[in-house]
Parts: sequence; C-alpha cells; structure tokens
Amino acid sequence: MIILETRDLKYTYPDGTSAIQDLNIEIKKGKKVAFVGQNGSGKSTLFLLLNGTLKPEEGEVLFHGAPFKYDSKSLREIRKSVGIVFQNSDDQIFAPTVYQDVAFGPANLGYSKERVDACVQHALEHVGLSRLKDKPPHHLSGGQKKRVAIAGVMAMEPEVIILDEPLSNLDPMGADEIMDLLHEFNHFGSTIIISTHDVDLAYRWSDYVFLMSNSKLIGQGTPAEIFREQELLKKAGLRQPTTLEIYHEIERRGLAYGRNSPKTIPELVNTLKPLDLMWVDVPPKVKEGDSLNLGVMYGEYATQSPYEAINASVLHIHPNGRAIVELKRKGIKAGGVLLYDTDNYSLEEIRQILKEGEMVFVGAMGKKSKNLVEQDGIHLDVTSGVIDKSILMALCGKRCLILTAGGMVDHALKRIREYVEKSGIEFTVGVVNREEGCKWLEEADESPEMLKL
Amino acid sequence: MTNILDDYALMSPLRHRNNWLKLAVVFFGLLIGVSSTSAITPLFIALSMSFATVALGKAPLKLYLKLLLAPVGFAATGVIIIAFFSGSGPELLSFKLIGYPFSIRADGLELALLVLSRSLSGMCCLYFLSLTTPMIELFAVLKASRLPESVIELSMLIYRYIFVFLDMALSIRYAQTVRLGYSNLRRSIHSMSMLGSTLFIRSWEQGDKLFLAMNSRCYDGKMTLFEVHRPVRATELFLTFAYFLSTLILFYFTKNISIV
Repeated sequence: MIILETRDLKYTYPDGTSAIQDLNIEIKKGKKVAFVGQNGSGKSTLFLLLNGTLKPEEGEVLFHGAPFKYDSKSLREIRKSVGIVFQNSDDQIFAPTVYQDVAFGPANLGYSKERVDACVQHALEHVGLSRLKDKPPHHLSGGQKKRVAIAGVMAMEPEVIILDEPLSNLDPMGADEIMDLLHEFNHFGSTIIISTHDVDLAYRWSDYVFLMSNSKLIGQGTPAEIFREQELLKKAGLRQPTTLEIYHEIERRGLAYGRNSPKTIPELVNTLKPLDLMWVDVPPKVKEGDSLNLGVMYGEYATQSPYEAINASVLHIHPNGRAIVELKRKGIKAGGVLLYDTDNYSLEEIRQILKEGEMVFVGAMGKKSKNLVEQDGIHLDVTSGVIDKSILMALCGKRCLILTAGGMVDHALKRIREYVEKSGIEFTVGVVNREEGCKWLEEADESPEMLKL
Repeated sequence: MTNILDDYALMSPLRHRNNWLKLAVVFFGLLIGVSSTSAITPLFIALSMSFATVALGKAPLKLYLKLLLAPVGFAATGVIIIAFFSGSGPELLSFKLIGYPFSIRADGLELALLVLSRSLSGMCCLYFLSLTTPMIELFAVLKASRLPESVIELSMLIYRYIFVFLDMALSIRYAQTVRLGYSNLRRSIHSMSMLGSTLFIRSWEQGDKLFLAMNSRCYDGKMTLFEVHRPVRATELFLTFAYFLSTLILFYFTKNISIV
C-alpha cells in the first residue's frame, strides 16, 4: 500500500534556485526508506514538502492517495500523521524541560491531561529518557537531545516518521541507539523515511533507496540494486558502501563467488568460501568424483563451529593412495544467540541463564534494557552493533545472550533467522522468556563428548 | 556543566519541594528582615537561610560565600559611611586624618549594623530562592499569578533560547579568539560588533526555524504548561511554622534591644 506519493513535484526557493524538479516518488507503508544524496541535493526541502510545511509550486503530494490540501485543518491532520525530526535538535526542542517539549505535540492535538501524560511517559520510556524528564535541554548531550526530538514526534503517534540526517553529530554508540530505535518503530508498523549522505547507513538500514542529485531523482530501488551501479553513484557524487566495495575486491580475486550483496560483516564473512581442500588417505577402491563421509570433526579440523559433519568429494587420487578431496562442512554444535525480553525482567533468571547456559558473550540493545542491566551490575560485552557481533561470536561456536525489549526482540530474531537461512550455517536462535521457550537450554545437559569420532 | 546559578538550582535537592512553600519562607524572611528594628532578627534570618541553602539545598559553601562577598562588599562601603557620618550619642572612636576629625558615635554604629544585617538577610533569602528554585519551576508560579499566557510562553521560549544563543556566542567568540580577533583593543571592538550582528541574524533565523518546528507539531497558538504537582508534606509544614513562630518571637523580644 502506498502511503506517500508525489506527482511532478516542483519547488523553487524565493531567490530563484530550484530545489526540487519533476519529482515522482511512491513510498510504501511500513518500509524503511532512505533518501541519499550530497548536501544540497534537495532532500531537506522535499521533507518539508512531504510534511505540508512548504507548498509545491507545481504538482502535488498525496497521502493515502488523497492530495494534500493546504487549509489549516487539513494541515493539522497531515502533520499529525507525518512527523518530522529536524537535523539540528536545538531547532526542534524549544520548551524549558524535556517533559514539556515532548508534551507539546500531544497537547496541541487536544488530548486530555491524562492522555498527554500517558503519551509522554510512553515515548520517553521508549527512548530511555524517563529519568531525565525534568531536565532542561541544555543539560543534555547531543544523543540525548536527538532522542528527545524523536520522542517529541513519537508522542503524536504518527504513521510516517521523517528524519533529516538522523545520525549527524552523534557518536557511534549514540548513532547505534537511534538506529535500533528506528528499527523498533518500523517493527511496530511506522513508515520511516530518513535522509543521509552516509552510503553505509543507507545500504545497511533501508528497504528502499531514492538517489537524489541536483534537485532531481536519479535512481531508485532496493539498496542492493542501487549501490551496485557504480556510474549512478558517481553521478550522485557518492561512493560505494564499504562492505560492498570489500566484497567486490574479494570477488575479483576469486575468493568469493555469486554476485552477492553482503550488507553486514557476518554476511560478508559468510561469502568468503575459498575451496576447502585436504589430503586424506583413501581406501583403494575409491575413484575420482566419489563422495566420502569423513564423519564428525572437532578441534582444529572444525573451522566454522565446534563440531562439524564433513562430507568430501574426491577430486584427484595420487598413486601412493592419498587423495585430494574437497570438503563440505555442516556445523553440528555451533554456538547460538539467545534473546531475553527485558519486558519481563528478572535478575535471578538472567543470572541463572548466564550460568547454566554457559553464555560467554552478553549484549544489550536499546537504552532501556542497557540502563536496567547496568543498574544490576551485569557485565555487558557489547552495546553497539549487537546483532552483528553476536552472529560473529555464534559462528565461532560461542553462546551469546542479547538483552532487549519490545519490538527489538522480534527485529533481532528476524535478522538472525534470516542470516541462518541465507548462510546455511546452523546455530540456535531463540527467545528465552517467551512462551515458546528455548530448545537450547534443554539441550545443554547433553554432553558434547558424545559427538566425538 | 555548572556555570550559572540556575545550574546549581537544578541540582539542588530542594528543587523538588513545593515552590509555594519556598516562596512563603523567602517572603516571610524578607518582610521580617526589613521591618525589624534590631540587628539580631535579620542576622538570625540570614544564618538560618544560609544554613538551609548550604546544608539542605546542597549549594557548595565556597560558591555561596563567594556569591555573598559581592553584595556584602557594596553594603559594607555604604555601612562605613553611615557609621562615620550619622547619628548622635556618645563617641566610641575618633581620630584625625589629614587634619579632618572622624568619629563613630553609638547611634551611627547601631544604624550601620542594622542596615548591614537587613541587607544581609535580604540577600540570603534571595540566594536561597535562586539556588534552590530553577527558572523552570517558576513558570508554574508565574502562571498561577495570572500573568498573561503569552508572557509566560515567551518567557519559556526565551529561557530555552538563552542557552542556545549563549552556546552560539561562546563558540563564535572562541572562533574569533583563535584567529586573534581579540589581540588588541581596536580588533576587540571590531570582533565584538561582528559577534553582535551575527547573533542578531542567527536569532532571526532561529525564530524562523522555531516557527517551523512548532508548526510541524500542530502548533495552534497555545503552549500548554504542564505543572508538576508537589504536595507539601506535614513535616515540612510543621517545620516551616516552627521557624516562622521562633522568628516572630525573636522579632518581638528584640525589638527594643540595641547591640551597642
């Protein structure tokens, strides 16, 4: 379903510079959309047009198929449904305290005092700032200000959230938290639109990319499609995402095959599959091209997980009875990633899981979960890029626990399952404290020694 | 980041107490202090207010003394002049300076002490207010005192943007300093004027952006102020009354007592 649409949109600034020319875009509901382009390519102006702040010179903007009307009542409706977070938080936060600023939107919608309070509490809790609600904005850090700005928009419960350069001026940790938040909103059904000139971010994060240059749309498509087009990127004044560039170089050297588009480091690592060859002694009757079952290997022979079932196909037999075989590995007892939903938090339960599940790697996603866990003195190995790092650890046979809450649980679960499916490397994924339970803890009694050759 | 009084007030534990109670204590102190006829009651008020600010309000003692020093310096110069040039009664001290006779008389000294103690008590009361009650708490008080809504809205916006512009001014000044903009008087004046004009233009722009930001969150010409409800506890009420009573008793019994 298309939620926002523009037709032949044109906008010129009062001084005559054109900001948007002949723009036709369709944004689907529930997607994560990125507008990518250099500074001054017209992204910010477009956002003000999408929110009804600017009126197009020609063409129209449609919301749910109905063209924008520019009388004050219709504008109110549009602004309630399409929230915008500005690049500079100081432009957006104008009330003397955090609470008052977040309450501004809901109060303008004419909600009752109780409802406003509920909206504000909910939004602040979501962005992990409940404790700072009575602080004045000038006592907050850049990342905190950004989160206040997001909470202020979120409190109005818009269908579409537009963020202009959401990660500018943020440190990596702060940036990661904002991106986790956006994933979560998206999971709950919000359509998210961001503008950025960070190609890595757009490539990794978005479902759909619009490429802008000189106030025109010069390309659109899935990130994998768009960022493969070197010429297009050059025209837009951008470069290729780092992971993709590395992958192309690896592919050129024959170390990877298949024209993949790895987005994350685990995906990139997974594309690295050189021929896995080995000298083995074979029984006399084996011919070239036969398939051999080498059984289960572990220790230094298992490279991808602690225990691997290995099949081999014979490529060449040497006169002295030794043969070169190509190995096909299948991990048996890999590590895994467990998720813990901190909405039903119990310190004892976590301690027990850490001990009995032999977790060696603990991460937390979302400000709320981090605060909760740090209060109770649980050591966190990682707090940014949690999903990727956990997958990498699981690939090395380690067991990881990710503490997170709400929509981020499902988001993480989805991402990891997708990885397992795509890569074909099995490891356990599950949510501990949800109804379906987790297979893995029950398996823990089973001794790995049983699997020895 | 603690640079101004408001920052200390924001961190004070007394910030979370009822504003009206604090205001009542301050106004009571001001009134009694000014109307007292002996120096003892104002001194008592000054001491108790200082105690409340430093011990209960957790204002750093060093800062508090430094803050007091400035107005006390002013008061002291005035008081010395009063002591020498007014009053009658027995001479307490006299000397000659370059042929001119100077003398302090009992009445003059009494008056001087009274003036000093009154101004001290007033200052302590006001410092108590400004070190325990940040501006953001006072907006609710302004609203309750029936000020026009637009005045309160404006004051809220101004409060917020003071800090934005302060930051801006500091960074511009820094940028000027590192490029030797303040190396001599002429350049300083030039840089200062540039800073002023830039700030003016920036604040104009900021106004536009503010309007945009408010509009995109459905601004309809009214900014609602959300008050935090802070009930007065029984112990607080009791202690305040005990304080009022003891001050009044002291006020009554010392009204005719002179120290000198």
